[in-house]
Amino acid sequence: MGWIGEIDLGTKPMPVTGPLVSLTIDGQPVDVPAGTSIMRAAALMGTNIPKLCATDTLESFGSCRICLVEIDGRAGYPASCTTPVTPGMVVRTQTDKLAKLRKGVMELYISDHPLDCLTCSANGDCELQDQAGAVGLRDVRYGYDGANHLDAAKDESNPYFTFDPAKCIVCSRCVRACDEVQGTLALTVDGRGFSSHIAASQDEDFLSSECVSCGACVQACPTSALIEKEVIKVGTPDKAVITTCAYCGVGCTFRAEMRGEQLVRMVPWKDGKANRGHSCVKGRFAWGYANHKERILNPMIRASVHEPWREVSWEEAIAHTASEFRRIQSTYGTRAVGGITSSRCTNEETFLVQKLIRQGFGNNNVDTCARVCHSPTGYGLKTTFGTSAGTQDFDSVQHSDVILVIGANPTDGHPVFASRMKRRLRQGAKLIVIDPRRTDLVRSPHIEAAHHLSLRPGTNVAVLTAMAHVIVTEGLFDEAYIRERCDWDEYEDWAAFVSEDHRSPEASAEITGVDPDELRKAARLYATGGNGAIYYGLGVTEHSQGSSTVMAIANLAMATGNVGREGVGVNPLRGQNNVQGACDMGSFPHEFSGYRHVSDPEARAMFEDAWGVPLDDEPGLRIPNMLDAATDGAFKALFIQGEDILQSDPNTAHVAAGLAAMECVVVQDLFLNETANYAHVFLPGSTFLEKDGTFTNAERRIQRVRKVMSPLNGFADWEIVQMVAQAMGLGWNYTHPSEIMDEIAALTPSFANVHYDALEEHGSLQWPATAAAPLGTPTMHLDGFVRGKGRFVVTDYVATDEKTGPRFPLLLTTGRILSHYNVGAQTRRTDNVAWHPEDLLEIHPHDAENRGLHDGQWVSLRSRAGETTLRALVTERVAPGVVYTTFHHPTTQANVITTDFSDWATNCPEYKVTAVQVSPSNGPSDWQESYEAQAKRSRRIEPRLEPAE
Amino acid sequence: MTRAYISCDMASVALGADDIAEALTAAGCTVIRTGARGLFAIEPLVEIETTDGARIAYGPVEPEDVPAILDDTHPNRIGDLATLPFFAKQQRFTFARCGITDPLSMADYTAHDGWKGLAAARALPPQAVVDAVKASGLRGRGGAGFPTGIKWQTVLDAASPEKFIVCNADEGDSGTFADRMLMEGDPYCLLEGMAIAGHAVGASHGYIYVRSEYPFAIRALNAAIERAGPILAPFTVEVRVGAGAYVCGEETALLESIEGKRGQVRAKPPLPAIQGLFGQPTVINNVLSLAAIPFILAEGPERYAEVGFSRSRGTMPVQLAGNVKNGGLFEIGFGITLGELVNDIGGGTESGRPVRAVQVGGPLGAYFPPSMFDLAFDYEAFAAAGGLIGHAGITVFDDTVDMAAMARFAMEFCAVESCGKCTPCRIGSTRGVETLDRIIGDRIKGAAQREQALEAMPQMRNAKVKHRSVDEEIGVLRDLCETMKFGSLCALGGFTPYPVLSALDHFPEDFGGARALPQAAE
Amino acid sequence: MMSTDQRLAYMADQIARNFAAIGHDKAAMATADHIAKFWDPRMKARIAGLTDSLGPVAARAIAILQEKGAPPPQTHATEYADVAGAGHDDAG
Repeated sequence: MGWIGEIDLGTKPMPVTGPLVSLTIDGQPVDVPAGTSIMRAAALMGTNIPKLCATDTLESFGSCRICLVEIDGRAGYPASCTTPVTPGMVVRTQTDKLAKLRKGVMELYISDHPLDCLTCSANGDCELQDQAGAVGLRDVRYGYDGANHLDAAKDESNPYFTFDPAKCIVCSRCVRACDEVQGTLALTVDGRGFSSHIAASQDEDFLSSECVSCGACVQACPTSALIEKEVIKVGTPDKAVITTCAYCGVGCTFRAEMRGEQLVRMVPWKDGKANRGHSCVKGRFAWGYANHKERILNPMIRASVHEPWREVSWEEAIAHTASEFRRIQSTYGTRAVGGITSSRCTNEETFLVQKLIRQGFGNNNVDTCARVCHSPTGYGLKTTFGTSAGTQDFDSVQHSDVILVIGANPTDGHPVFASRMKRRLRQGAKLIVIDPRRTDLVRSPHIEAAHHLSLRPGTNVAVLTAMAHVIVTEGLFDEAYIRERCDWDEYEDWAAFVSEDHRSPEASAEITGVDPDELRKAARLYATGGNGAIYYGLGVTEHSQGSSTVMAIANLAMATGNVGREGVGVNPLRGQNNVQGACDMGSFPHEFSGYRHVSDPEARAMFEDAWGVPLDDEPGLRIPNMLDAATDGAFKALFIQGEDILQSDPNTAHVAAGLAAMECVVVQDLFLNETANYAHVFLPGSTFLEKDGTFTNAERRIQRVRKVMSPLNGFADWEIVQMVAQAMGLGWNYTHPSEIMDEIAALTPSFANVHYDALEEHGSLQWPATAAAPLGTPTMHLDGFVRGKGRFVVTDYVATDEKTGPRFPLLLTTGRILSHYNVGAQTRRTDNVAWHPEDLLEIHPHDAENRGLHDGQWVSLRSRAGETTLRALVTERVAPGVVYTTFHHPTTQANVITTDFSDWATNCPEYKVTAVQVSPSNGPSDWQESYEAQAKRSRRIEPRLEPAE
Repeated sequence: MTRAYISCDMASVALGADDIAEALTAAGCTVIRTGARGLFAIEPLVEIETTDGARIAYGPVEPEDVPAILDDTHPNRIGDLATLPFFAKQQRFTFARCGITDPLSMADYTAHDGWKGLAAARALPPQAVVDAVKASGLRGRGGAGFPTGIKWQTVLDAASPEKFIVCNADEGDSGTFADRMLMEGDPYCLLEGMAIAGHAVGASHGYIYVRSEYPFAIRALNAAIERAGPILAPFTVEVRVGAGAYVCGEETALLESIEGKRGQVRAKPPLPAIQGLFGQPTVINNVLSLAAIPFILAEGPERYAEVGFSRSRGTMPVQLAGNVKNGGLFEIGFGITLGELVNDIGGGTESGRPVRAVQVGGPLGAYFPPSMFDLAFDYEAFAAAGGLIGHAGITVFDDTVDMAAMARFAMEFCAVESCGKCTPCRIGSTRGVETLDRIIGDRIKGAAQREQALEAMPQMRNAKVKHRSVDEEIGVLRDLCETMKFGSLCALGGFTPYPVLSALDHFPEDFGGARALPQAAE
Repeated sequence: MMSTDQRLAYMADQIARNFAAIGHDKAAMATADHIAKFWDPRMKARIAGLTDSLGPVAARAIAILQEKGAPPPQTHATEYADVAGAGHDDAG
């Protein structure tokens, strides 16, 4: 694919709300929506008015003064970017007078700009140079010895980009991007007049400032004042491929810009429907892991985990894998093996892994990492609404009046969506945050939560039921909506249940720790404040009552009529890039693709016909059950694609014991991850840059992943799985992932219209994409719930069995941070470590004082499950009695601490509630020391014997 | 007991009014502090009330003059001020009470026709009030001269639950002091005008944005707001204090500053009348515009409009400053000539030397030579002559002035005060100073060769290596002025060329003697 | 750390406790349905031998499974809504 230049129409599009406005520009008639700028109107008809401070991703600003035009009957020379069209307006964009004015302004710009275009890293990708040419500037008569900024010091502190004030034209595009697009407001113009200059925070360097390195400023800069270090190093790209980010569930679309097969930079794509041209530090910059020296490129096997790895040919590795699985099945039974699909791989790859297991292994022992994150979402939303996914698209938030965020920290976890949400909040939408931590959303520039319910971890259900109590007993429910769309009898049962006195905010305050007045106000606001939208994350699902909490959320939304249109809904913020897709593709042990139970004879017949084998009608094992079965000797082999269960799953010691009890663990991954320490076969994986396929994001949007470079390991992951299948005699013969998608579409009703040509044509599709909705479904349940009637479910508060006590008086809750992703396997291998080199334990000053702990001190963190050490961060972000850490670094092993408790319905682990004690420490725990020694031993690779010449 | 009137105006106090007041009190007088009468040549000024209520003025006086004043033997006895030509010639519509009443006395204000305009306005529907302002012909006294009634109509027509009245009291032009005098000498007049505006457009809250350099005015306004609260209600007013940026006198930068942001100009549209303070429809008017309103409502718009000249109706409080004999405030109907103001009213220069130039409209106004003194004081006439009335400050210079230095000062002023948003102003003003430095330097040194090491390098193929002549430099300067005038975002950069070009046009001899006609630049 | 038997019993009881609010009989049916739909057959077989260690609801659920087999769907959690229905374009 060649270079796809992005067209910049100068100012933002205007919605068509009435008749178009007709005007004449340079003698040509043009019709545009009211409110459109003259600049955009001209650009739409192909006339490019010179511009520097205007760009169509930002509000018009009017500072550069080269877009001036003449308008009949109007004095002076108005700026075309800030002047809206009016009916009958007659505009001239090019006259002698305008030419002279523009040249005069450009002469001033260039009089304070280095003339090093030949050696400038922008290399022509520079709007200043383009416009200087466009206005015909040939001479700077002021000379070059006047006042200037050419000696200003360059800021190279950020690992990914530099700021060179000498090349800055003070157009404020970076400042405006930081304000309007990202919403961090880290940049400003300091000084005034000629000494005006861009400053990060209080004139700090970028790295130590509040900058979150989202790249919006770099993207907005019209010169090379802000430019990626990779472009400085490699040179400007000459071709681009549109693809989808492989980090979080937002699913940003990027232009991967390359020279040859060398990736130069990832630039957020304006036409991306999930991100609308925005990005975060991970997707924008943290792709260096793809070429990291620790990547494993050759297949390896070993007989025992105590031996070093031995590099082998692909043929040998595949044949060994197939024969081991067949051997184990013939020895221990069909159900003794299973596999784990990856939420980081494509839909096609995931589909193939579960197909390998169902068709090839002949059982349903397939699970995926959604087990440990959003499995309760699937259970809860399917039970109440009939669909295992969020109800809205991301654009919906622009229509919300009240936004309720519960158990989610979008500014860290889903930063690009968080920016959208923050924009809406700055416009005046009200915010309710239910979270034990004072997350950034609670109070940030120009945003303050109307109510922050800082609840005791583990009491979500009690808080939500108390809100329902207020809504029902104060008559704030939407009776007409409920009668029309829901089962009224079930509503009445539920209403009676939540109305009981002991479920009131006052009665439950002792359990939840939430001020009843605040809770009542929050409930009233959500019920009566207009369009109410709920966004939630793993703070909801990763509990003993995860599924109940999801259903309690759905109950609230139905009771207040907040489902089935734009601006409302129930929106799970999905963790990994393709966790929605992995679930859709039949990665759960009880469901085929499209969420059809394996016991459903019709569905099973469909797959049996297509795959030509009988399929098991009994559910398979979930990940924790597989590990239990392994320790019992009944489960012996596991195929794991792109997943590091040893680091990511709870109670590390239990995971390790399960893995150690198996005879063949196959890990397919980019790196020798922690799980690989217990593996017998290692199949090198490919990155998202190296293959074709699709990801499905949190808004059910299916988007193309396109191959940017050849796989360093030789094969895309789907090819590797196909080779294993072929070695097991399954006769697969896919030549391209599009053929896999065709099979998915044929076997999955909600994907019926999903084909690569449709994706090419429309850019993306949100399932369901069926004959009835060929272009997909942005908002679900428009006319009625998918299942017919929305179902209210009684959600009793059943407290977790994980209790604090004298030995473990604090509650640990875990989460993540902006700069890192999941287990950190990718981000730790990038310069993102500059922001977060280690996991820290957040502890309230009061709790720290009681234990004699100070900021930065090494502390021991102990639970009933295990012990680890890490450094303390004393902060009021956490409430007294609560501590918090991230799980990005294997040296910390936060999951050594977490317990076996899990959601009652789905076994999603209770990561968010662990009773712990914290005390001063001198060094690593015994577990950390023995684990590190074991890991070091396990990662040995025997040098390959090169055949003699 | 003898009643004595002494101004508490900041200028009067600077000239020693407080000491006189103290001496009079010590001598047993009842001292009443008023605003300033406006003629500073006779300050400190004392007026002694006679038994029949008339006032006998003495000035200038010193504290030790008190006995002579009380004896009526002081040589600087002026008598009835109204008979002094400086006052006799004025038409005091806006400043009628200033210098006569105790600025904070509600009784005084009411007794001198105060609140009549507000009462009249509140008896009318909003549209009728706006119509009256339109009929008066009042134009924005801050400098732009935009018809006030039309601005109010726009705000009245804008549908919004919240609207604001903003008074621009960021009087930053050199040689101007009318806003300050009014705020210190008759603050209720301004508050009354704002309350009328509030009623007219449907705004319930107003802000007065005052520069921090006016502590007396800030004090007077705050006291007046407190006392007049019940009468103004439901309209409320608060004072916001600026932080010394000239550009915050520009209306949109002023709004940004009130909002707590960096004082930076906004692009228009949207007009403040439609999306102004905090995004709401906003009337933003100068002190003098709002202070003219009570008269218009109380006396009727016809009474106001019958004074004036051409499309400039009503009176203008002209401020005479600089090297002038009778410096002060002179309120008069439009149409008086520049020469009358400078020579007849102002009495020529203080130094006694011939007048060489006057600058009208603050630091961004044009310089006029005496040859143009028959120019009528009128918005359109001044614009046609390449100048502007602005806030009606007139600064007088005698024949020792160096007009090239004055042109340089204009550019330097712009460079210092530029907000930095738009390029013509941000970079252009600095380049203007540099270009003028080259012109002035050449004038002093003759056509001496300057160092141009960089430009002389062979790589710099587009740079002129030959030294430019003064005429060529002036050509560059004129081009720059054109870029700034037509390219700048606001009046700061847009008006800076006025003093520069007028100096070049009318005083070419100060720029190296070359005859630089306007068309030479084309 | 729990043994596998302890864990299975814990899981069954935990499911039962979360259904308890709808009443003993309905909760037992729902628990039976849940175990039938989500548990691997070997887990089901094993829990059948552990009824003595279970609470009353879970024990009743296991009894239902042994006596009558899997009950009809109780919770909609595994029901499939047909895509073809107009306006109810499902997701499953």
